[in-house]
Amino acid sequence: MEPSDWELVQKCQAGEMSAFQELVSRYHQKVYVVILGLLRNREDALEVSQETFFRAFRKIGGFQGQSSFYTWIYRIAVNLAIDAQRRQKRNPLDFRESMDGLLESHDEVARDPFADVHDRELRENLISAINSLTPEHKAVIVLRTIEGLSYKDIGEILGCSEGTVMSRLHYARKKLQDKLSSFL
Amino acid sequence: MKRLKKLLRLALLFSLVQVVAGDRVDAADPQSVQVTIGTILVSNQNDEFDPKLKSMEKQLRVLKYRSYRLLKDETQTVPWRGDKSFDIPGGRSLTVTPQEFQNNRVSLKVRLTERNKPLLDTTVTVPNKGHFLYLGGPPHEGGTLVLSISAAAQ
Amino acid sequence: MNDCERTQENIGRWFDDELNRAESERIRVHVESCTACRAAQQRMEKIDQALHGVLAAEAAQVEFTSFWRGVERRINERRPWHREWLDRVIGVPRSAWAVPAVIALLLALLSLDSYFPAWRGGVTRSGFAAVNSIDAHGRSVALLRENETKTTVIWLYDDQEGEDETAEEAPKAGPAF
Repeated sequence: MEPSDWELVQKCQAGEMSAFQELVSRYHQKVYVVILGLLRNREDALEVSQETFFRAFRKIGGFQGQSSFYTWIYRIAVNLAIDAQRRQKRNPLDFRESMDGLLESHDEVARDPFADVHDRELRENLISAINSLTPEHKAVIVLRTIEGLSYKDIGEILGCSEGTVMSRLHYARKKLQDKLSSFL
Repeated sequence: MKRLKKLLRLALLFSLVQVVAGDRVDAADPQSVQVTIGTILVSNQNDEFDPKLKSMEKQLRVLKYRSYRLLKDETQTVPWRGDKSFDIPGGRSLTVTPQEFQNNRVSLKVRLTERNKPLLDTTVTVPNKGHFLYLGGPPHEGGTLVLSISAAAQ
Repeated sequence: MNDCERTQENIGRWFDDELNRAESERIRVHVESCTACRAAQQRMEKIDQALHGVLAAEAAQVEFTSFWRGVERRINERRPWHREWLDRVIGVPRSAWAVPAVIALLLALLSLDSYFPAWRGGVTRSGFAAVNSIDAHGRSVALLRENETKTTVIWLYDDQEGEDETAEEAPKAGPAF
């Protein structure tokens, strides 16, 4: 039977590096995707994701299991991503190139070429719309949409109440719908 | 020469400690903030100074009241950008939201409400584990409430 | 509030499965019969799917071995600060750290009062609290800063008349500053 996250954490605390490696293996993609949703490009997201696990490694001795490991790691990830976002000084051209990179990898052959164009336009404008949100609003929509986390878990990660999560999600969705109305 | 080397090494140590103590830490490094709110009743009804307020006597005396009594002292751990509320007598509540940690100072968003109506919204920066900020004015039991606010990033 | 308004207010929570069973069922029934609310649900679904489509597939592109190498490199590179400091101090030739040492000495001398406050006769803790913004929602407010004790006070005046008339000694205008 697979060891639980908490069992792996305890092994890390006892000095077993392989246990930490296993935790990274379980969560690296989830963390990366959440950070990618908050930042603008893959390179930054990769950097911040690796930094997230490095910080977790440094602090794992103090982790006492009061929250689940995944909310703890997401909290570190979101804080780092929000900070990175505030420091980002990329110009609009760089952003556009990064964004195109994200879209190109998902070019699929669609049966209906017009639907494909329409979906592509939606995705292109979606990235732009997401990036117009504040870091806090972006964080809730990414955590909810990508990870399907409950309001309670999102609240724990972001350090706010469920009510705040709910109102931020409501606001973020409304703003996205307003910006993307012609594509929906 | 040996004495000079010793002196230089001491100097390096001093300055290293200074740099570490005053360094900007990424907001992501300290995971939470311990916020302490003291609720103090000040008035001119009598002459008393609560011994529990000894550490802040010099600052409180600036207000030039005759009587100072500590009603309660509460500490809560608040995550960054999270908020926690402190009950204040008279149907009031103080909500504190740590915003940022920079240059060994903690930025806080503070809201004082009375029966859920906002009385005051303020953003302040307090030295980490340093001097208190005082927020006073709400009347209570023949005197006035003064709230001491301090923060310690963890 | 009519059915549509109530549904629109809660449709996000319903979509996220955060409602109780009774309310969830009510919204489900309403959405099935209401074109506008069904359209709202579909818009939400479309945005969700599009975002998921763009980002979730990215996850598969992150290959674990190289990711782990990056994490491991960070762990191995960052040795305890005191070891790095020792290596630097001992390893570098004497003449190379003479200049930084002099600068450090100057810094140390300038900061001595933090460790020996009697020199200045000042308070042991440094730094004022700063007030960056205030909104007193229409009430009068005063800000006091006292240099000697490094005290910062925000005073909110009770502008409303007729309150607290029972207090004989209640201060009329706040503290005496």
